[in-house]
Amino acid sequence: MEARALVETTSQSSLEPFQPLDPRAIKLWRVAEQIAVAVFMLPSLIGVLISSYWQPKAAVLMIAGWGFLTSLWLWHSLWQPPRRYQAWGYRIDDRVLETRSGRIFQTTRLLPLNRLQHVDLQQGPLERMYGLARLELHTAGTQNASLTIPGLAHEEAVRLRDYLVALGDTDAN
Amino acid sequence: MQTEKPFSAQPTAPLLEGRLHPLTLVLGLITSLRSLIIPAIPILLFGNKFRWGGIGLFGLLLIGTAVTLLIRYFSFSYRIQGRELVTREGLIERKERHIPLDQIHEIRIEQNLLQRVFDVVEAVIETAGAEGAEAKLSVLSRTEAERLREAVAARSAAKKAASSEFPARPETNEREVIRKLGIRDLVVHGLTSNHLLSALAILGAIWAFADDVLPNSIYERMGKFLKVTAGEMFRQGLRAALLALAVGLAGVMIVGLIVSVIGSVVKFFNYTLTRQGDELHRSYGLLTRRASSLPRHRIQVLKVEEGMIRRWFGLATLRADISGSQKEDSDDNKGRDVLLPIAWRDELDALLAVFFPKLAGDGSEWKKVSPLAIRRGAKAGIIILGIITIVVIATTKSWWGLGLGLLAPLVYWLNVKSYHIFGYSLGSQYFRTRQGLLGRAMHIVPIEKSQVIVVRQSPFDRRLNLATLSVDTAGQSYTGGSPSISNLPLDEALQVARTLAGEASRAGTNF
Repeated sequence: MEARALVETTSQSSLEPFQPLDPRAIKLWRVAEQIAVAVFMLPSLIGVLISSYWQPKAAVLMIAGWGFLTSLWLWHSLWQPPRRYQAWGYRIDDRVLETRSGRIFQTTRLLPLNRLQHVDLQQGPLERMYGLARLELHTAGTQNASLTIPGLAHEEAVRLRDYLVALGDTDAN
Repeated sequence: MQTEKPFSAQPTAPLLEGRLHPLTLVLGLITSLRSLIIPAIPILLFGNKFRWGGIGLFGLLLIGTAVTLLIRYFSFSYRIQGRELVTREGLIERKERHIPLDQIHEIRIEQNLLQRVFDVVEAVIETAGAEGAEAKLSVLSRTEAERLREAVAARSAAKKAASSEFPARPETNEREVIRKLGIRDLVVHGLTSNHLLSALAILGAIWAFADDVLPNSIYERMGKFLKVTAGEMFRQGLRAALLALAVGLAGVMIVGLIVSVIGSVVKFFNYTLTRQGDELHRSYGLLTRRASSLPRHRIQVLKVEEGMIRRWFGLATLRADISGSQKEDSDDNKGRDVLLPIAWRDELDALLAVFFPKLAGDGSEWKKVSPLAIRRGAKAGIIILGIITIVVIATTKSWWGLGLGLLAPLVYWLNVKSYHIFGYSLGSQYFRTRQGLLGRAMHIVPIEKSQVIVVRQSPFDRRLNLATLSVDTAGQSYTGGSPSISNLPLDEALQVARTLAGEASRAGTNF
C-alpha cells in the first residue's frame, strides 16, 4: 500500500552465500570442448595435408598454422572451464532463485519461484558419464523465459527439482 | 443482455450454444471466387487451347471449396458449458477443444466490408498458451458474437471479484467511455506519423502499377522529357536544379502527409475505448470494423511512447501487451499494436489511472541512473564524432571538417539532458522505467507480472561498476522488448532486482 523504502525490503545480511556447481563440471566442459576441437580440427588436418601435397611450397606454413590454431583451442579448453566454474553460482530460498554466471558478461538472474511453469532435468551422454545433470527452469516470460543451471551433481539436480516442484504444489493450494 | 453468471453453473446445462452463421457458405465462396478471378481472366480470354480445361479446373476448385465449407458449416459447433468454451469440428476426425474461460485473454471481432453488408462478423479467441489464435469462429451473426463476448467477460469479472486485486464495483455493468478519437485526433495522428515512409511506399506502388500498365513507349517519351528538362536546368544553373529538387521533395512530403492522414482515418475511424468493470474494449475502423476486448488485469506491460514528432506536439501513443500476445506482420496495419493510437500528454495521468487503478497511490519517486552515464555517453558520442570528422577530412581533403569539433559541447549537453530523463521508479505495485531524449518511452510493469529479472554487466560496465537491469514479462510483442534500464550502479541494480523478485514472489501468479 504505502511506498516502501528499498532498504527495508532487502535485508542484505540474510542472503545465503552462492552455491558452487559440482567440480566435475570443469572436467565435463573440458572434454566437451576437446571433442569439438577433434571434430573440427581432424577433418581440417586432412584438408591441410591434401593441399600441402598440391602446394608443397606452402606446406610448412599451412601445417604450422593448423598446429597453432589447434593448440590455441586446446589451451582454451583447459584454461576456460575453471574460470567459468568460478563465475557460476546459485542460491535458492523458498521464494527466489538467484544465479550468477559469465566472466566477460557477468549476469545475475533472479527467478521468483512462483513464476516457475515447469522444470526440466536434462542429462546428455557426457553428463551421464560424469554423473552430472542440468536443470532448465521455464517461466511464462519471453526473452529470458528459461534459466539453465548446468553442471549439477545428478542427485543434487533431482533434489532441487523435487524441492521446486513441491513448492509449486503448495502454491496451488 | 446479461444472463446469469456462468461462474456458478452446473456443467450439465450449456449456457450458450451456437453454430456458424449460414452465410459462412456464401461468404466463403465469394472469398474464394475473388481469389480465383485474377488467375482466371487470362485463361478465359487468351487460352484458346486450354479454355475448357481451365474452366473445368476452376469448377473443380470451386466445388472443392464448397464441399469444405459445407463440411465445416455442418460440423462446427460451439458452446459455453460450465467454465469452458467448447468448440467441436470435423466430420471424419472429430476434434473437440475445451478452452477454460479464465484462460481467454482477448476476443477480437472483425468485420470487413462484405461481412458488414450481411451484418456478420469473424471472432478470434486468444489465450496465453497457443501460438496465434486458439479458436476462430468465422462467421457469426453480430449479436451472437456479442453474446459470446459478454459471457466470457462476465466469467472474467466473477473471477476477478473473487480475488482481491480489483474489488467488485457496483457499476460493473455500466460501460464507461474512456476515450473516443474524433476526426481531428485522427488527422493529428496521421500528420505526426512517419509520413515520409508512407509517401515512399505510395510512390513505389504507383511506380509498380505504372510498370505493369503503361506501354513502353510512354517510358521512352518520359525518359526523353526528363533528359531534356534536366539538361535545360543544368544550363540554367544550379539554383534552378536545387529549386526543382526542393519542390520535388516538398511534393513527396505533402503526398506522404495526405496518404498517412487518410490511412489513419480509415484505420482508426471512430476509435472508441471503453471499460466495463475490468474489461477494456476498443472498436475502430472505417471500412473493416475491428473490435477487441481484453481484461485490464491481464496487461503485462504498458508503454507510453512519445515519438520525436509527437512529443513536440505534446502527444503520446499507448501500447500494451497481454501475456502471450504474438505479433503478426499485419498487426500494424490492423491497428492491433496500440491500445490508444494517440493521447494528449495532459490526459495521460487520467488514462493510466484507468488501466492501473493503484498507480497514482503507488507512492514512488523517480530515481536517476548513475551520473557516470554522462561521461560515458559523452565519450562514446565524441569518439563517433571524431571518426566522422576523420572521414569528412579524408574525403573532402580540406581541414574545414575540423569544424565538426564544435559539435562536441552539444554531444556533452545532450548526455547531460538524457541523464535527467533516464530513470526508474520502484513502488509497492509497479516498476517503471523511462528513457529516450528526442523520442521518449516509459514502460510500466505491475510487479506481480514480472518474470525473470536480469542484471547484466558488460566489460565496459565493469570498469565503471555499472550494470543493466531488465525485467522479463509474459508478453512483449507490441511494447518492444523487456523494460530495462542501463547505467545503474551495480549494487543498486542488484538491490532493485532482489526487491522486485521478492515482491513478485509474494504476489499470486496470474496472467
